Amino acid sequence: MKKAVGLMVCMLALVLVAGNAFADTYDAVKKRGTMVCGVKDSTPPFGYVDQKTRQIVGYDIDFCAAVAKNLGVKLEVKPVTSAARMPQLMEGNIDMIAATMTKNAERAKQIDFSHSYFLTGQKFLVKKDSVKALKDLDGKKIGTAKGSTSEQNAKKALPNATILSFDDYPQAFLALQQGKVASVTTDETILAGMLSKAPNKAQFEIPNIQISDEPYGLGMRKGDKKFVDFVNKTILDMEKSGEAQKIYDKWFGPNSDLPMPRTFKIVADK
Amino acid sequence: MLKYEFDWSVVTSGQYYDWIVSGLYLTIQLSAVSIVLAFLLGLLIAVMRMSSVKPVKWIAHGYLEFFRNTPLLVQIFFWYFGSYKILPQSVNDWLNSTNFEFAAAVIALTIYTSAFIAEDIRSGVLSIPKEQMEASRSGGFSYLRSMQYIILPQAVRITIPPLIGQFLNLTKNSSLAMTIGVAELTYQARQVEAYTFKGFEAFTAATLVYVALSIIITALVTLYSKKVLHRTG
Repeated sequence: MKKAVGLMVCMLALVLVAGNAFADTYDAVKKRGTMVCGVKDSTPPFGYVDQKTRQIVGYDIDFCAAVAKNLGVKLEVKPVTSAARMPQLMEGNIDMIAATMTKNAERAKQIDFSHSYFLTGQKFLVKKDSVKALKDLDGKKIGTAKGSTSEQNAKKALPNATILSFDDYPQAFLALQQGKVASVTTDETILAGMLSKAPNKAQFEIPNIQISDEPYGLGMRKGDKKFVDFVNKTILDMEKSGEAQKIYDKWFGPNSDLPMPRTFKIVADK
Repeated sequence: MLKYEFDWSVVTSGQYYDWIVSGLYLTIQLSAVSIVLAFLLGLLIAVMRMSSVKPVKWIAHGYLEFFRNTPLLVQIFFWYFGSYKILPQSVNDWLNSTNFEFAAAVIALTIYTSAFIAEDIRSGVLSIPKEQMEASRSGGFSYLRSMQYIILPQAVRITIPPLIGQFLNLTKNSSLAMTIGVAELTYQARQVEAYTFKGFEAFTAATLVYVALSIIITALVTLYSKKVLHRTG
């Protein structure tokens, strides 16, 4: 027992050793000649592996590429998970996060966000004609995935509902198909992506009930002002030049797999 | 190097503390119900396994091999998602209207652990000299009554240390119930991490609670065996 306690103290001490803050990413990336971007690799159409080329492609990757091009450096993409992306950024394994990350106040305490480069909202995937208004879902079981902002929002919007958090969205969707939950809730784009791949998609629908805005931001290290300003200027310029619209149309335009009207423009945060 | 600021207040007070406590409560419920059921079922399977009636023996043997040799996580998914395909729709509708997540977790934990417990009890029984069984049979006891009054009380006493191990395993294995949305201790620790990014604090708290829980279970079972099973006269 004494030994175990000693071991625990040692581990604690190791973790407690605080690291130094990072120097300027802008200069570091320029000097290195490559920018490392943390992206999702299984969340179409934001970041996923293309069947033919075996490369990670998507909306998020196109924004990384634009920033890298503007910096005049090569882009290297690195797959990250929702849980690991922030620690990886803070440890310096990646220079920027572009991984469907919702901007919120809790996260903004740890890292800096760019202006929003994508806007979606949290909605509900339900069996056809089962839900007309939000109140139809109160008191029911609602499925979502662990560690997401979706769960938090659902609890607020439906205080009497039971929220069941599964490990990932496919399981939550299976629970919906088996009638174990009345709905799966998360960002509309993720729901639509899931639905587009389902074999029995005619039985489901996403009613027009939105419980939150989900603005996605590019994540950078806290206090890295020069780099944050540069990224912000880059994406604002992309909006002005029409490049941002072009990237949107590539993934969400009328000819894409997931057609959705663009309801936002990239503007400077207040 | 990760720059990390510790904030133990997230797990010692307020909303997140409440989550951890509610998770602990559910872990205790889940473990207590499953331990009792797994022990009883384990006893039954052990007796069946040693029966002289061939089909009964084979059923018990098949049960043991099947449930000991498949991963618990797969069994949890089987009872929760897989049962849907087998059961009639009306039963499914009824199950879905209840707290089926909890029930499926209890079923999986009970069946999985009972297989291990049965083997532990069987090894305990085998260590009792077989003359005792012969003596009790010639004294007029039936096979089941001999087991009940003569063999099992001794065997269970011998089996206490490995049984404690199985109970502790079950308690820790109950964390797998979070995969089907049962909000037990590990689930809540992960929720606290997701909401606050204070994963180190959340999991340290959960670890300490599991250690405390394990010590309490060990103490209770040891005390019971000393006071009740080993009493004389």
